[in-house]
Amino acid sequence: MDSLHGILHGLAIASTPTHLLYTLIGVFIGTMISHLPGIGPSAGIALLIPVTFGMDPITALMMLTGIYYGCMYGGAVTAILLNTPGDAAAVMTVLDGYPLARKGRAAATLAIAAVSSFIAGMIGVTALSFVAVPLAAVALHFGPTEYFALILFALTTVSALTGNSLAKGMIATLIGLALATIGIDLQSGVPRFTMGFTELQDRVNFLVVVVGLFAISEVSRMVEGTMGGTLHTVKVTGKLWFTRAEWKRARPAALRGTVVGFLCGAAPGLGGTLAAMLSYVLEKKISKHPEEFGHGAIEGVAAPEAATNADSCGAFVHLLALGVPGSGATAVLMGAFIMYGIQPGPMLFSSQPDLVWGLIASMYVGNIMLLVLNLPLVGLLSRILYVPPGVLLCVVLGIATAGVYSFNNDVFDLYMALGFGAIGYGFRKLDIPKAPLLFGLILGHTLEQSFRQALTLSNSDPRVFLQSPIAAGLLVCSMISVIASVWTNRRPSKAFQEAEARIEETKHLDAEHLVEDPR
Amino acid sequence: MNTKKPDVWLALCVIAGALVYLYSDLRMPVMRSGDPLGPRAFPALIGGGLLFAGALLLVETYRKGRAEAASRLPTEASPRTRDDVRKGRHQTVVLLAMVVWTALYYTAFEPVGYLVSTAVFLGGLLSYFHRGHYRTNLLVALGFVVIVDLVFSRLLNVPLPAGILSL
Repeated sequence: MDSLHGILHGLAIASTPTHLLYTLIGVFIGTMISHLPGIGPSAGIALLIPVTFGMDPITALMMLTGIYYGCMYGGAVTAILLNTPGDAAAVMTVLDGYPLARKGRAAATLAIAAVSSFIAGMIGVTALSFVAVPLAAVALHFGPTEYFALILFALTTVSALTGNSLAKGMIATLIGLALATIGIDLQSGVPRFTMGFTELQDRVNFLVVVVGLFAISEVSRMVEGTMGGTLHTVKVTGKLWFTRAEWKRARPAALRGTVVGFLCGAAPGLGGTLAAMLSYVLEKKISKHPEEFGHGAIEGVAAPEAATNADSCGAFVHLLALGVPGSGATAVLMGAFIMYGIQPGPMLFSSQPDLVWGLIASMYVGNIMLLVLNLPLVGLLSRILYVPPGVLLCVVLGIATAGVYSFNNDVFDLYMALGFGAIGYGFRKLDIPKAPLLFGLILGHTLEQSFRQALTLSNSDPRVFLQSPIAAGLLVCSMISVIASVWTNRRPSKAFQEAEARIEETKHLDAEHLVEDPR
Repeated sequence: MNTKKPDVWLALCVIAGALVYLYSDLRMPVMRSGDPLGPRAFPALIGGGLLFAGALLLVETYRKGRAEAASRLPTEASPRTRDDVRKGRHQTVVLLAMVVWTALYYTAFEPVGYLVSTAVFLGGLLSYFHRGHYRTNLLVALGFVVIVDLVFSRLLNVPLPAGILSL
């Protein structure tokens, strides 16, 4: 099935009433989640996976995917109104979005963010449809050697590029890989690292790890937020629609952001934060008004928002075509695929065309739904920002508990999730990235199987990994990513550091302003 | 606060954890039925990788410390005040209490039942984190457990434990 036929076939599947309803529910929940500071797409998807247990896999995955891009779409709202990025990728949007909101252009800025996201989403999904099929066709020729090299490349890229330290990225990835070795070994039947717990013989439950790491540990951040201070929200005021002059400046920025974002998304491990940052820096470099950046330049909102959304489409390229996730959230989605007994990868396009094309087409539908939701209802939806964090943290804990328990009806899973919540808290305090752990856990099993199969086929000759040109090329790329990371001394980029410093500075100024003027 | 110290401790913990992991790997029975590597080889590589990553973190921390000393710039711009320290300690105590409270809740989850244990658990948390809003807290706690119970037991056909309410 070629891409165009695939899209048309997918649209027929995605436009059935049930699929439309669940896509709408997904994007709506995603938008709501994105409005809650601290809860990112990974935690949102993880919390909602148990709710989809009884559904048919296509419907469930449409809903979960809807949550993902709904989250990416709405991350701008907290960035613009609250000076707090809804997810890490929205950090660049804060720089110009919040100053614009304070100038009374909150509604127009939100509209620019929504339209830029829409454009990027539609172009991104189209690019995904046309890039994934040839890539999957190439990947069909991959054997265990190439798969081992591909997964190793994804793991080294994510270790090398996530967080501020190569060593910490490696530690997180290797802990994930170590967790993936727990359970009965498929070839020999030997139980490994189960510590006598029968519950661990069937491997560590992926959902338990994700909910613990991403949802329960985020509760600690909410506790600190509740006890540590206040959030200063800018109300949605002004005309909702932007002016022609604003659109003239935002349109090319959104298109450039889309290209940057899709390319970043299509490379495993780069992620939306880097896409947003690169697009912002690019706009500032080529702008005729670089002095406006940081004080309310509309391009500074359009470009990163477009980049973030195009990145989420790009991340699906290798998830669907190669079976390798590109970010923490797509890793959670990949876990959901596996939980439904579906292995993402090149075979998916021939074995499950309804699922793949239905899912891709649902992204078109979801993008239109998001535009409709985000433009007229933004004032209404932004009211969720006023939910007290004290109530929110209780609701998150309650949903996490019910979801984790319902998976196996076993209290052991609850204790495990609490344990992983504590580990997630430790990771945050020690500045260890969490996404690499998830990558290691999800890809660890396939990595080990590919490694063992490759060596079995070659009579234990390790040169097999260098004899295949694809495998050798990927291993060289892995080495380059590690060397580049060491060479650049692993500092967060200047633009990112500036963005974080600006957010902190504005928050302090706001706090002082409130003390002086307690109205 | 010295940011290097936690990283040194982390590196040492990773190295210790890697050694325990490798020791457990060595004690695993070897069965190589048609598989030349057996179940121990891949975990051994992971353990070795963890040892390397721990050592790399020590090197990174040392280099960072030297770079800071050379530029005479402390890692944090302003030192923590006594108030910050007190606030930090208070947050730690609250978080620890929350972990204990959650563990107690999980212990009571099956014998007491989802509805009662969750309502009490949420009620306790809300009375601390959303102080003074008694009516709202009661409504949130009861409304939440009833809705979640209905969604899981009726819509998803996954009944949550009834506990004492099944008697």
